[in-house]
Amino acid sequence: MSERVLLHVGTPKTGTSYLQDVLFRNRVKLLASGITYPAERFDAHFLAALDLMKMPWGGLQAEAIGAWDELAAAVRKAPGTAIISHEILATASRSQVKRALESVGYGTGTEVHVILSVRDLVRQIPAEWQENVKHRAGLSYHDFLKRIQDPERASRIGSWFWGVQEIPDILNRWGHDLPPEHVHLVTVPPPGAPELLWKRFSTAFGLDGLDLDLEAERLNPSLGVPEIALIRRINRRANKDLHPPDYRPLVRELLAHQTLSQRTSSPRLALPPSVHPWVQELSQSWVDEIRRRGYDVVGELSDLIGAPAVPASEYADPDRPAERQVADAGVDAIKALLLDNARLRREEERLHAELHEAHLALERSYLRPTYRLREKIVRRAERSLAGKGMLKVYRAARGRSSRSA
Amino acid sequence: MNASAGTAAAWTWVDHLRAGGTTPWVAWLESASGVSDPRQGDRLLPGAQQLELVRRLNDAGTPSPELVERVLVASAPGRGRQDLELLGAVEPLAFGPPPIDPATLGADDLARVAVGLIAEDVVGAGGPPREPVRARRWRTRYRLAGDPWLADSMRAELVSEGRPPGGRGALAAVVGTDLATMVAHDWTARCFTEGGVDWASFCTGIRRRGRLPRRLDLARTAERWATELGGPAQVRVVLDPSRVAKVVGVRRLHVLPDVAVDAAELARRTAGALGLLVTPPRRTELLRGVLLPRLAAVHGPRPVVPEAHRDWLEEQARLVQRGIRSGDYPVVGDLDALLPRWPDLPAVDEAQRSDSVLSLALSLLLDPATGGGDAR
Repeated sequence: MSERVLLHVGTPKTGTSYLQDVLFRNRVKLLASGITYPAERFDAHFLAALDLMKMPWGGLQAEAIGAWDELAAAVRKAPGTAIISHEILATASRSQVKRALESVGYGTGTEVHVILSVRDLVRQIPAEWQENVKHRAGLSYHDFLKRIQDPERASRIGSWFWGVQEIPDILNRWGHDLPPEHVHLVTVPPPGAPELLWKRFSTAFGLDGLDLDLEAERLNPSLGVPEIALIRRINRRANKDLHPPDYRPLVRELLAHQTLSQRTSSPRLALPPSVHPWVQELSQSWVDEIRRRGYDVVGELSDLIGAPAVPASEYADPDRPAERQVADAGVDAIKALLLDNARLRREEERLHAELHEAHLALERSYLRPTYRLREKIVRRAERSLAGKGMLKVYRAARGRSSRSA
Repeated sequence: MNASAGTAAAWTWVDHLRAGGTTPWVAWLESASGVSDPRQGDRLLPGAQQLELVRRLNDAGTPSPELVERVLVASAPGRGRQDLELLGAVEPLAFGPPPIDPATLGADDLARVAVGLIAEDVVGAGGPPREPVRARRWRTRYRLAGDPWLADSMRAELVSEGRPPGGRGALAAVVGTDLATMVAHDWTARCFTEGGVDWASFCTGIRRRGRLPRRLDLARTAERWATELGGPAQVRVVLDPSRVAKVVGVRRLHVLPDVAVDAAELARRTAGALGLLVTPPRRTELLRGVLLPRLAAVHGPRPVVPEAHRDWLEEQARLVQRGIRSGDYPVVGDLDALLPRWPDLPAVDEAQRSDSVLSLALSLLLDPATGGGDAR
């Protein structure tokens, strides 16, 4: 039975992909230090989270069946400390949290800690909309903001956004039964300090002093305003015809991540100045509540307040982007698609040549005299009723057939 | 009433529901002033959706204590609003979704929780996966194509009797009926396979694409099989499903009856939840082997193509007719049987539909599907 379980349950867009990548690639080294990160594949904890929360996710759910129980069993078996990490766990319901905690040994002697990495809403709100757009959404930034400001949160967008972003509510669900010192908040520092974030993660997860490979392999780069506006237009135009399995490699990976994210000089997506005061007020109330509850904070609670509002004159609205910039991004996108198409054409030619070779080889084998004789007999037999009958008897007697089923 | 008294009232309401009570929460809260309950410190007061679902179950029948307990701890599968607090039972919170009077919850909110449980029941009722049946040596060689609801079930029946499709000299039976019914069949078949979109979106989607789903275009299907099997003489377009048996060389073949639109809609939603519990092939097996026999008995209107798409569908039917004629395929039945028939049914609005799907879901929870019958 594990002595200690660290459950990292969110939130999205807080460097979680980087953390999970480091944990996954260093799991052998971690094990030698008494820390288990039980995962046979990079997305093992994601699948487990989908299974726990009974959540469909673009067809992946079939792979997720039973994944939580498997993960929990591995955690229970692990000696020392075990880590589970996935950001969508933030949205688990109270009964799902109860099941998760019990399944990793809570209440039977295992010390369970909940870790939540958090970032200010000034950055989280634009990042969440961008993530929605990179997952086929066609809704405007304005509509997104309207939905998340609806107090009823009845829309899918609203319920999901607050489910994974509302820190006091997430901790109500995940940390309610735990002593506050077992609930840890890792705050994401202001932009420009990636090493500081790792340092905070390292402290919270007890990784200080371990010699880990910190080279990042999996990143989720962000896009500028004209680039995300372009992707949204593509979604609106192509969604109905482009099947989901094709969307991910072509739009999300090829266009958004590999091509448009390289355009770093375009205006960055920000929170509209008009929404800023509401966000600041909300964030301050969260900071006060977290302070009142006495959780362990790794970093600064003031990080949650976020940067001051962008001056209205500098704010770039993705719903009304500069068309010249969008067109420029569009040309880059076309270039990327052309190059990829050229690559596929070369691949197609190679496969055609391979197939042609195979056909030639097949023809050579058909030219053997015995094959030609047998073929002649069958053709002749099929012309008469008696011949057909004989063939039927022959095939029945042979017991199996080479005919297609 | 203060929140602590509200929590106590909530716990006594839970007891009331466990005992089969049907009093709505607000009425209960008003009459429960001054009650105290030692469990009020317990954090896991069930959610508003779960409690209201139990109340509706009590209203609709007599749920077993096991079912009530399962509902109380169930979370709705998929995305959407998670377990909500009861209005008046907790301190007004500055965070989290606002508490709610459960009577104001929509039917879809309750049905989300219900279908998760129905999916579990269906998995529980499923027997072991079917063993493949050994093929008979002496059998008529056939292929079955066309209307997916009819052709797939007939093929499954034939396979279960040791008559798999294919083989040298096979004759292709391209099965169909009137095009409006075939569109409904195609949607129903998807509901009992992978789920997919609702009926209205399905019809809109076909219209937007501007062409019939592949399998409903009987002329193209016939053409494909004629090419594959050696000419039009190897194809029969069968527009009277009761005559398929003769074409494929058996004495009788079960024609799968149509399913009511509410029943198909419930299957569609259950398919989504089932996909979280079993693999896609097993899901289809369970939907058709366990859920369908139960839902086939449900009375109600069949899916009806909305008025806006009818002219277009009639035109498509004529195009298919023309394709069959020009391809010179032998037709079993009357070619005019392809023309859509429009039942004289009143339009059902979506809220009404949600209510009737919920009430069907309640009846399925009270009397779960057991997998009886032989629907395939």
